[in-house]
Amino acid sequence: MRLERVGRRYRAGGPWVLRGVDLDVRAGTLVRVEGGNGSGKSTLLRLVAGIDAPSAGRIRGRPRTRGYVPERFPAALPLTALGYLTHLGRVRGLGSRAAAREGACWLERFGAQQYAATSMRELSKGSAQKVAVAQALVGGPELLVLDEAWTGLDQPAREVLDSVVRERVAEGGTVAFVDHDPARLAGAPDVIVRVGTGGRVAVAGAGAAAPEARVAVAGAGDGARGPAMTRIEALGAPGAGVPEGLPASARCTLAPDGELLLTLPAAASDTALRVLLTARPGWHIRSVRPLEPFGERERDRV
Amino acid sequence: MRATFALTRYQLALLVRSQRWLAPLLLYAGLLAVGVRAGQPVLDSLGIVAAALLPTAAWLVRSCVTAEPQAARHCAAAAAGAWRAHLAGVAAGGVAALLFGCAALGVTAGVSAPRSTDGSAAVPLLPALGAGLCGVLACALMGAAVGALGNRPLIRSRGYAVAATLLGSVAALALGASPANAAVTGLVSGSARGEVQLPWAALLGAVAVAALAATAACAVAARRE
Repeated sequence: MRLERVGRRYRAGGPWVLRGVDLDVRAGTLVRVEGGNGSGKSTLLRLVAGIDAPSAGRIRGRPRTRGYVPERFPAALPLTALGYLTHLGRVRGLGSRAAAREGACWLERFGAQQYAATSMRELSKGSAQKVAVAQALVGGPELLVLDEAWTGLDQPAREVLDSVVRERVAEGGTVAFVDHDPARLAGAPDVIVRVGTGGRVAVAGAGAAAPEARVAVAGAGDGARGPAMTRIEALGAPGAGVPEGLPASARCTLAPDGELLLTLPAAASDTALRVLLTARPGWHIRSVRPLEPFGERERDRV
Repeated sequence: MRATFALTRYQLALLVRSQRWLAPLLLYAGLLAVGVRAGQPVLDSLGIVAAALLPTAAWLVRSCVTAEPQAARHCAAAAAGAWRAHLAGVAAGGVAALLFGCAALGVTAGVSAPRSTDGSAAVPLLPALGAGLCGVLACALMGAAVGALGNRPLIRSRGYAVAATLLGSVAALALGASPANAAVTGLVSGSARGEVQLPWAALLGAVAVAALAATAACAVAARRE
């Protein structure tokens, strides 16, 4: 799908939430959308999902079947969880039985099968979020849009969602997501879209062949090539998690043998080193080196 | 098309299970209880059955297009497109109104007298039912149009939306140019003359108005959320 000069503002003459966004997303791509609070991330996701239409520009070739998971799903709907999933499955073209079967499968996979017959009004926040994720997956939409979908899920369900996202992308589906956890699906996104000030968008992207290019690009106000980046290589105890407190701008890849790769703006590298050195159990720093921001492109310069 | 049907079914399920159909039904039953008496001339009573359905339909459409929390609306809109999701709400309200109208039509035809207003001429029951069905359809469609134009996404504030739905219903019944007015007038004047007129023109007009209103509301629903 292709976004061409897409802009969105909520009233005529009002400020642009997004402006001049050009984005080309091929099938089988994982897109991470980043930006500060109120930067227009959710607006961009709603445009991509087809919930909202751009005020300027156009979106072509949006996949026909789409699923969207909102951050909060306080769905006081007078339906049971499975009833709701069945309805959504039918909307995506499944027969009643197939929709119910698939809905039950997704509930089971996220560990919410015991709530199948529970009214949506009685679900806890986390269980409602599981239903919200399941409704987007029923019927296997080609495009999946996740707006902080992990928030509110318990840890096992978060891991299930991580693997579901990887599966969808491997099967040729497109997934776009926002998450406040910078380590979410670390290393997996093919394209990183950073929504900056004034609704301008910077795009960093690379195929699997050039993983070094999977770096964040700052808002369009920064230098022509984005900020200088640093790569930190560290070794921790096997099985150790990514340490808490790393800068939000850091991209992390953690191998099972405990090797941690951090790519982050040079300005944030001191903070990251301090976190790694003071963490318990500790991390051994193997190398710190500046990174050439190759393979990176920025669009929509003002 | 299939997605729109599935969404309409979803909206009807929400309407039925939320019991938001009950208040419009009570309004309709109240209006009929005041206006329809056993043994009255059948076409006069069918005129009231049709006219009272218009505000009921507008209210039902309001119930449907405001039934979902925003998050659920976004999920449905992503699944099938925002305009289809909105069209399904309007359609579900219209279908529910039609069910109410048809039930009232049957009961009223059963208890009314098959004669003209002054009692001089006999009115055949089957053609009278046909004319009544046309009137019910026209008023349900006009009510759905009022409900579509008077609520979100065109009017978002609850106070203004309720006022617009109410005033729109009165206007759609009272204004001479309205197909609903023409349909009801056709039934009542037919009763006075002792002859059954099928209000075809009014029904076609109502179809056109409802199509335009739904198109406008769905176009806006697709443009801004």
